[in-house]
Amino acid sequence: MTEPELVIASSPTDAGIGCWDLHTGAEHLRYRTCSSPSHGLTCVGGRFLASSQLRETKSSSGSILYWSWNKPQVEVKSFPAEPINPLVSNNEGTYIAGGGASGEIYLWQVATGKLLKKWHAHYRAVTCLLFNDDQSLLISGSEDGSVRVWSLIMVFDDLLRGKARQPYEFSFSEHSLKVTDVVIGYGGANAIIVSASEDRTCKVWSLSRGKLLRNIVFPSIIDAIALDPGEDVFYAGGRDGKIYIAALNAVADPNNNYGLHILGFLSEQSKAITCLALSTDGSLLISGSEDGMVRVWNTKNHNITRIFRHAKGPINNVVVVRQSSLMSNRGTVNSQMPSVKRHGVSLPPPLEKCANSADENDYKAVIGPRIDPDRSVEASYISIQSLSNQILELQRQGSSAAAEMEIERLKLDRSRSMQMIQQWETKFQSLHQFCVTELLDGEKAGNA
Amino acid sequence: MVKNKAQSKKQQKRGVDFKKIRRKIGRKLPPAQNATNTEIKSKAIILPEQSIASEKAGLAVSKKGLTLKELLQQTSHHNAKVRKDALIGIRDVLLKFPAELKLHKLAVIEKLRERISDDDKLVREALYQLLKSVIFPGCKEDNKGPINSLMMTYIFNAMTHMAIEVRLMAFKFFDLLIQYFPSCFLLYAEKILQNYEDILQKNKFYLQDKGRLKNALAGLVRCLSLLPCSNQEEGDSLSYNDATRGSLHAFDLDLSDKSTDLSGVVNRLTDLLPVLVSCFQDFSPLIHSMAHVDVQSFDCMSFLLQSIDLVVRFFVHASGNNQHDFQNLAPAYKKNNLSICDQSISAVTLKKLWDEFPLSPNHCLSEKDGDRYFMLNIVITEIFLHLSYGSKLSPALLERFLEFIESSLSEKIHNGREAGKVHHEKHLISLVAFIPKLIMQVSAAWKSRILQAFMTVFENCSPESSMKLACLSVVEEMLLPEQNCLYLDPKDLEILNHSTWIGELPKLLVLLGDKHPLHVKAVLRLQLRVGQTANLNMTPAKEYDNMQYFIRAFYCTCSNGTVSYGPFMRLPRDIQELSVCCLYYFPFLDKVLLQSLASCCICHELEPFILFRIMEVLHSAYKAGHIQIADYISFFITLLSRFQVYPEKIDPTEKHEVKSNRGTFKSVVRAVCSWLSQIGDDVLVLQMLEKIVLDEISHKRPVDNIYGFIRLLITLDSKPTRLSEQTINRLSEVLPEYFLDVVNNIAEEDDESTKFLIRQTRDYYLLPCFFLFDRSNMLLNQILEVMESFIRGNASSLLPHQKGALAKDHSSRILSVVSVLLLVLGDIKMQKLLLSCKTAIRNILESMHTLESSEDITMTIEERHKIRSAYDILTAAVSTLKYD
Repeated sequence: MTEPELVIASSPTDAGIGCWDLHTGAEHLRYRTCSSPSHGLTCVGGRFLASSQLRETKSSSGSILYWSWNKPQVEVKSFPAEPINPLVSNNEGTYIAGGGASGEIYLWQVATGKLLKKWHAHYRAVTCLLFNDDQSLLISGSEDGSVRVWSLIMVFDDLLRGKARQPYEFSFSEHSLKVTDVVIGYGGANAIIVSASEDRTCKVWSLSRGKLLRNIVFPSIIDAIALDPGEDVFYAGGRDGKIYIAALNAVADPNNNYGLHILGFLSEQSKAITCLALSTDGSLLISGSEDGMVRVWNTKNHNITRIFRHAKGPINNVVVVRQSSLMSNRGTVNSQMPSVKRHGVSLPPPLEKCANSADENDYKAVIGPRIDPDRSVEASYISIQSLSNQILELQRQGSSAAAEMEIERLKLDRSRSMQMIQQWETKFQSLHQFCVTELLDGEKAGNA
Repeated sequence: MVKNKAQSKKQQKRGVDFKKIRRKIGRKLPPAQNATNTEIKSKAIILPEQSIASEKAGLAVSKKGLTLKELLQQTSHHNAKVRKDALIGIRDVLLKFPAELKLHKLAVIEKLRERISDDDKLVREALYQLLKSVIFPGCKEDNKGPINSLMMTYIFNAMTHMAIEVRLMAFKFFDLLIQYFPSCFLLYAEKILQNYEDILQKNKFYLQDKGRLKNALAGLVRCLSLLPCSNQEEGDSLSYNDATRGSLHAFDLDLSDKSTDLSGVVNRLTDLLPVLVSCFQDFSPLIHSMAHVDVQSFDCMSFLLQSIDLVVRFFVHASGNNQHDFQNLAPAYKKNNLSICDQSISAVTLKKLWDEFPLSPNHCLSEKDGDRYFMLNIVITEIFLHLSYGSKLSPALLERFLEFIESSLSEKIHNGREAGKVHHEKHLISLVAFIPKLIMQVSAAWKSRILQAFMTVFENCSPESSMKLACLSVVEEMLLPEQNCLYLDPKDLEILNHSTWIGELPKLLVLLGDKHPLHVKAVLRLQLRVGQTANLNMTPAKEYDNMQYFIRAFYCTCSNGTVSYGPFMRLPRDIQELSVCCLYYFPFLDKVLLQSLASCCICHELEPFILFRIMEVLHSAYKAGHIQIADYISFFITLLSRFQVYPEKIDPTEKHEVKSNRGTFKSVVRAVCSWLSQIGDDVLVLQMLEKIVLDEISHKRPVDNIYGFIRLLITLDSKPTRLSEQTINRLSEVLPEYFLDVVNNIAEEDDESTKFLIRQTRDYYLLPCFFLFDRSNMLLNQILEVMESFIRGNASSLLPHQKGALAKDHSSRILSVVSVLLLVLGDIKMQKLLLSCKTAIRNILESMHTLESSEDITMTIEERHKIRSAYDILTAAVSTLKYD
């Protein structure tokens, strides 16, 4: 337990954001006035909290709020063009992506608040968004039942997008109803994606092959999933209040009580499970339920270790934050921001409503360094190629390389023996000198 | 004889020395005295059975008494007839003793394969039959590797045999082999194709006989259809099935079919294609000159075209842009080689083919011939369309093909002839599949013409036909282009007449009924996709909205009180689920559709699973704002009030006959309660629902439904109660009746085994009422008063002429009231509550006492006794209450 972890939870009713230490159970500040939609709560790079807000159906614009860690009040308010449902930021906290109710995905730069890109991703409202582990892909699920994988390189590269036949990497449309949650495993481009839907199924997709690997039918609608770090199982929180454990790596037993691939469930007679999260080591499972409780389960013995009471109303977001990053990043302030001085804390300016074409030059100047992650992805491709080249070379020229090494060794030997010779020479010379002087001295003495 | 005698007498007279030996010619020396008799005499010995045969008693023999071993030896006999007989004998043996085949499979094949290149036609034929009917079917599930390799060496040998007959037969054998072991083709593809090429090119002379050519080509078609492009989908579905069972991250051992290198095949096919085309060209003079073309030539031509089609398809697939599907090729071939050969093919080789198109003889034709030509034309068009995608073509050529496509789609369909129509449809299906791709490429004028033609096909084909299925998939592809990565312009979409297409779907659903689940599934899938992608403010959305007026008939229609269920109720579960999913995507679900859904839901035949799915989907639809709150509430209220619960048969003998649906109803109630309470603040929801619920309760409903409503009330209510006084008054009128119904319906029995169960069921019904009492003491008091009036008041209020009949009724009613009270008293929490209602209880006891002691009522002694004992029990129970 070197790094303390925090659990933050929010609900659709105006109950604020609760914050607890996962391991000690101590309650921290409660951040006020937050009514988030499902998947609408995120911690931006460990520096501050951000949440999209549920809006009246009539209101045309959405709302995203920021809280800094040490103040319960809302610090920054921004009003995007339409209501934003899911909100996610990448690990470093440089971008925020939001999914709109009309199916648009918005991508903002956190430091300047600029809307970098907005594109029509789905036919209906986006319900969940997440980045993959190397932050190069954005995965979105939607009410129209499709899960799409977007490459950020493609999103920003107009030329590439023009050439490609579709703007996304993959579109999985086997779900027949709204996608409720999506998680991704480790392994970059070879990862698996697990998606849950209101059609009572969870589907496992392969990111490398772009196809369906497994379809698991549950006894109730699954609203939340959490993937075990070892990818042996995943946890699926159902509307019937049970957390099902579904196998990824075991051979299915057809005469199972619960259904194919379902190993069992955790249950505490609660109302529907709405959100799940795992601690970083995978030993604790945190579930949020409609009855306003956050339960912490031990994944090994399936017991509840802790219960946090958040609110009367339902909870719909639970996020685990590593506190170390939070502490270390607390000091990093982008001092050029005007808002910083106004609020006295280090929060970036509000997000822009629409992409501003007047700032085109400025925009380019800002985005420059942001291409970095993209390049690193490319570099990894190159490294694979060069690696295979090297292997080839090694196979082909194995003998010459060995000969070279041999020569090198021989050269070394030679130089060493040269040194030795020199040493001997000097020794001989000094001895000779000594003898001569001795002799002469003796003679002198004799003479004397 | 006489003379002889005289002579012998004379000789005896003479002396021995002068004996004159006279010999007569023709006489024989008498045998010497000591001569051995060398004569051999023999007699035929007839045995009942031969000794060798008796040794074979336990062995498997043919009709002629030969064992498998002997028969196998005879297969290499120099006499052709013997060889043939041996093969037939083997067939006998193996048919009679299938175990024999399992044991000696490889040995048998090892011996038999030598006969593949037998000189005698009849022997080869017999071998073919033997392999086809007995040996291959028997070996199907075994390891195929050794059989293949055993056979293939000899088949290749035979393919290069001097005699053309043998060669042709070898192709036939290979054909047979891949029928049973399709996976082996790719291993030998290169060599086989080489052989085909040889025989088609260099030995044309032998192939003058159309029958032979036909056979060879049929084999070629089969081989080519095993190339990766055509069987890709099957393979995918298979591997998908496997994947559902195993573990995800496991190491995959089975790489054999993926590791084959196709580069050699590509080269071979490049050589083969011109040969095929030139073969086809040989037939063209035939078409133009002859008045009547025989069937075999037609078959040959169609096989040739099919082979060309398959080769082209393979190339297109291989060089196609979906390269990650095609990992079999070495990377070098992927980019350069294939695309180059693809280009060269389209440009030069097939030019000759295009020149022939369309095949239309100028003389008058019979119907059948017309159909055949039509078929050939269709295949050529297919080849053309395969190639046309992504490559530049001369406009004139394109024009010619487009004209053909349009005319074949639109005109010929309604030519009237039934048989011809069916025939046409079969071939048109393959053409229809190209339409989405085609309209991507052609000019706007052609686009609308072809779409028009397509519309006529779509509308005119019968709902059950496979043509309809094909059309549906085309519509899906055009409407939702992202699945196949083609982007139709929104403008193009406007050209398509949405109203007809989308409006057609629900009608089609009703027409299809429940007899064609496959079609229904396709229609529903399309409907779902359209719904998912319908943008809320575009025309498709409106059309989708309009759809629900027709789709009602699919679920259920009510007219004048009679309910007639649509095909939905009888379809398989997965299709039902799919259709339920479609409901979510209606932008607005109207009352009438909800009504018909509700009547589906309360039908007994509906599976509970589907019932819950419908409820879930409607709940989600409500949350997404697709259902008005009033409709939503009334749907659930209808469900609660109309759902018929069969009582559980407590009698163990009848238990198996009727499975009670009380459990289902209980879950329905639970779900309805939780969802209705989610509508908003409980206080407001309660205010909204209070009146409706009370109205429903006051109608005389079965206990289960009333139970459901009470559950709903207590979910929304809180402690202390928020129910208005009026509500409580009305409840106090209704609830006593409910109690009595509960007690009467679930009668107490003496049987020990069922006692617990009865107790449990009664508690189940009473528990929600206890909650109500807990929240409002007034209600409890009022109810006790009403009960007291049951005991006391009824007798006086009775009309005189009813007295006799109702007296019995009255007494039993009193007994029920008592048992209700006992139940209430039995609950610990209620005991505390009852303390505050002492007066009411006392009143009840008093009125019972007066009743029992009064003399004026006609009451039998038995009844009186029962009331007496009930009174005693009740008094005892009440007294314990007081002491606590």
